[in-house]
Amino acid sequence: MSRFVYLIREALSSLRRNALIVIGAIMAVFISLALAFGAQVVNELLKLNTRAWQDGTHVVAFLYDEGTDNVPPGAHEQLLAEVRSWEEVEDARLVTKAEAWQEFQRIFENDPQMLDALRDPTVLPASIRIELEDIRLHQTTRYRLEQQQQVVRRVNTASQSIEQLQNLSDVLQILGLGLAVVLGVAAVVLIANTIQLAIYARREEVAIMKLVGASNWYIRVPFLLEGLIEGLVGAALAVFAVWIASNNLAKAGESLELFRLDISNQWFFRSGLVVLVFGAAAGVLGSLLGLSRYLREADGTGPDIPKGF
Amino acid sequence: MIRLENVTKVYEGGTVAVNDVSLDIQKGEFVFLVGASGSGKSTLIRLMLRDEPVTRGRIWVAGKDITKLPKWKIPYLRRSVGTVFQDYKLLPNKTVFENVAFALEVLGRPRSVIGPQVNQVLELVGLADKSQRYPRQLSGGEQQRVSVARAFVNRPPIMLCDEPTGNLDPKTSVEIMRLLDRINRTGTTIVMATHDHAIVDAMKRRVVALEHGRVIRDEVAGRYERTSEEE
Ligand SMILES: Nc1ncnc2c1ncn2[C@@H]1O[C@H](COP(=O)(O)OP(=O)(O)O)[C@@H](O)[C@H]1O
Ligand SMILES: [Mg+2]
Repeated sequence: MSRFVYLIREALSSLRRNALIVIGAIMAVFISLALAFGAQVVNELLKLNTRAWQDGTHVVAFLYDEGTDNVPPGAHEQLLAEVRSWEEVEDARLVTKAEAWQEFQRIFENDPQMLDALRDPTVLPASIRIELEDIRLHQTTRYRLEQQQQVVRRVNTASQSIEQLQNLSDVLQILGLGLAVVLGVAAVVLIANTIQLAIYARREEVAIMKLVGASNWYIRVPFLLEGLIEGLVGAALAVFAVWIASNNLAKAGESLELFRLDISNQWFFRSGLVVLVFGAAAGVLGSLLGLSRYLREADGTGPDIPKGF
Repeated sequence: MIRLENVTKVYEGGTVAVNDVSLDIQKGEFVFLVGASGSGKSTLIRLMLRDEPVTRGRIWVAGKDITKLPKWKIPYLRRSVGTVFQDYKLLPNKTVFENVAFALEVLGRPRSVIGPQVNQVLELVGLADKSQRYPRQLSGGEQQRVSVARAFVNRPPIMLCDEPTGNLDPKTSVEIMRLLDRINRTGTTIVMATHDHAIVDAMKRRVVALEHGRVIRDEVAGRYERTSEEE
């Protein structure tokens, strides 16, 4: 227990000593992870919204009624099973004529004119609603469906705007993640720097620890802890900042009825944890890098015990 | 206790600091390493600590061939060897007590053991009443006694001392030597590098003389200078 307190105290006092460069390292972790996390949030928002717009439906195949010319009973179910087996299809469901009528009534419940206009519910066709793995694959699916002429009357695919949004999201992802990686490398190097400074500041103690036979890990752990703290603080700041930003965005978006800007807390929690893990990893990696020079010296290939410090 | 077999050390840059040295030091011996500055005394001590690797030859310390020691085992070697240097190597921001306790803390000894053990060794070196002082509030001789206390607190079977009296006046040097002598009488093997004639001559212990990295003389109960026939 006292050892634990000692370790924390050492790490904290060392962080305070090199405040400036420590802040720099934490900022680098923060910016890097905020960018990466931000890109993920944008991606998630787009996913949510494309799903919301289309109710998760990217392609709709309207079908001929069963029992007519070339459509035997059970043909709808059979086609559904086949569509589900296609590799680009995430999910598909059958909407029967009865369900189509219910949906119509629900959509136009405030529009009696429309309801009046459609006296005969049987004109609404059954359909298969398809959700794709990747929305850009809709051409393939359209082509495949059009091969099924006997059953498929008409194919509707997701609008082009969705496809464009998807492309935009991809660009954001690549830019965001690319920048994040560059800054991430900078963060690791900066952490390594702070660790080297910390070792330098404590070189007398380290020399005596080696002299009296402290194990290498005993000497390293406080420095590893220091890097870990830097990485975790940076990551926590990143999660917090992105969370605040997207919450404010969601509030602003409440008036925009078209666009959903609220991401579930569950998603945030899960992704936030991943970001923290990345921050911790950057911290430990930086520490190990900073310690590598010291590790070489412990090999007996360099001056172990400095003359008079 | 310590055995060197044809040990040679060539530093990067080509300086041959130790040249084909063989030595056998028994348990409980007190050995002076003497020689002019640059003769290789410090290098020999650093080799015995595995602070530097040997270039050729083998060194056994406490029964182990330390030239073959994997690096992660070096700390265990250091635990069985106490060290004292000319410049004391005390931490300025720690008290006398803390400086000595530090050597036990970093080995993970429980606090209940550390306290009594530190007080006992401070008693031995005669600094029990100054345990709460900082190094800068002590004389050179007192600082060196703290350093000896730190080296001895873990009761190592071997102590290596590199010019421990190098910064001290003759009277204070004698105090340190009395202390080392007492420690030696508890059975601790001591190897001490020095170029202090008076001390070596007064102690009448084994003397190993070095010149240009070679052993030129090894005498039981020797003197600093060759006990020559001309005398
Ligand atoms: N780290 C080092 N790198 C290169 N040469 C060194 C190093 N340490 C000592 N030497 C050289 O090795 C020789 C022996 O030095 P040293 O062992 O310190 O002698 P002493 O302690 O007897 O004065 C000297 O010539 C010295 O310059
Ligand atoms: Mg020397």
